Amino acid sequence: MQLYQPARNLGYGQDITANFTKVYNVPKNVKNILRTSCYDCHSNYTNYPWYSNIQPARFLMESHIKEGKENLNFNEWGNYSSRKQKNKLDRIVKEIKSNEMPLASYTLIHKNAILSSSQKQEVMNWIEKTSDSLSSKY
Amino acid sequence: MKNIILSAIAMSFVLISCKQKNKQEETVNSAPNETEATAVKVNPTSFSIKEIVTNYLSLKNALTKDDSNATADAGKALVETLGKIDMKKLSGEQMKTYMDIADDVKEHAEHIGDNAGNIAHQREHFVLMSKDINDLIKTFGTEQKLYQDFCPMADEGKGAIWISELKDIKNPYFGSEMLTCGSVRKEF
Repeated sequence: MQLYQPARNLGYGQDITANFTKVYNVPKNVKNILRTSCYDCHSNYTNYPWYSNIQPARFLMESHIKEGKENLNFNEWGNYSSRKQKNKLDRIVKEIKSNEMPLASYTLIHKNAILSSSQKQEVMNWIEKTSDSLSSKY
Repeated sequence: MKNIILSAIAMSFVLISCKQKNKQEETVNSAPNETEATAVKVNPTSFSIKEIVTNYLSLKNALTKDDSNATADAGKALVETLGKIDMKKLSGEQMKTYMDIADDVKEHAEHIGDNAGNIAHQREHFVLMSKDINDLIKTFGTEQKLYQDFCPMADEGKGAIWISELKDIKNPYFGSEMLTCGSVRKEF
């Protein structure tokens, strides 16, 4: 059982032009928040904790990451259609606002991923501004 | 220590068997859907979004009745239908437009299908799905008489549209709470 160690989500040799931070000019504070609180499951780069070597922790982790990336992958952002990008921005704000994300089971262990209300506001303000500039382009 | 290791191993077996059980259920569940899907006919001579619209309308009608389970079922049916649309009749440009929109509709339909019991979440996705359906109709037309309705209070007060086959307002965003809130904005 402990020998079952699926491939890690560490995206070697990736095309970085599709990155969220390449598509938009993301301010540093927002970038840091996204990286700390979202990227573990929503990008091709997971910052694995020590217990990721132990089953069933690893098994659960990989299934979360897989599902997270299917729904939203910041490293694949540039490959989304403009319609999808707009919708994803909308969804990110809603998930943060309703406290659905980051997942409670994640922040239970990753205390630094918990978003303070000012952090939430920073992210949501920036996304809403970005989203509005996109809709005028439509 | 020994106990912890043993319980971790036991736990992992339980988890795996749960997962397998789910898979079995999935295969059982998918069987009736397939028979249902064969009833959806795609016109072989010309491209049509009629089936997509039909599925969307039944989803919309389930929301007007505040029926989360029926909404989820309609969402699943819509995913099935999208998988069966024949794009061969489309030109390159049309196909790109269609695929962009359809890809998005599918995602919303999947979320709506997975969230039986959480009608608020289903309605969030319905806001975006309605925009997509509106664009599909704008691009590919409709034989059926359809209306674009607007509710200024939906989507947290930002306002949202929906497509309806009825001239009378039946609001899918609020259901019985405010069934007649909204107005017709456009006719197709």
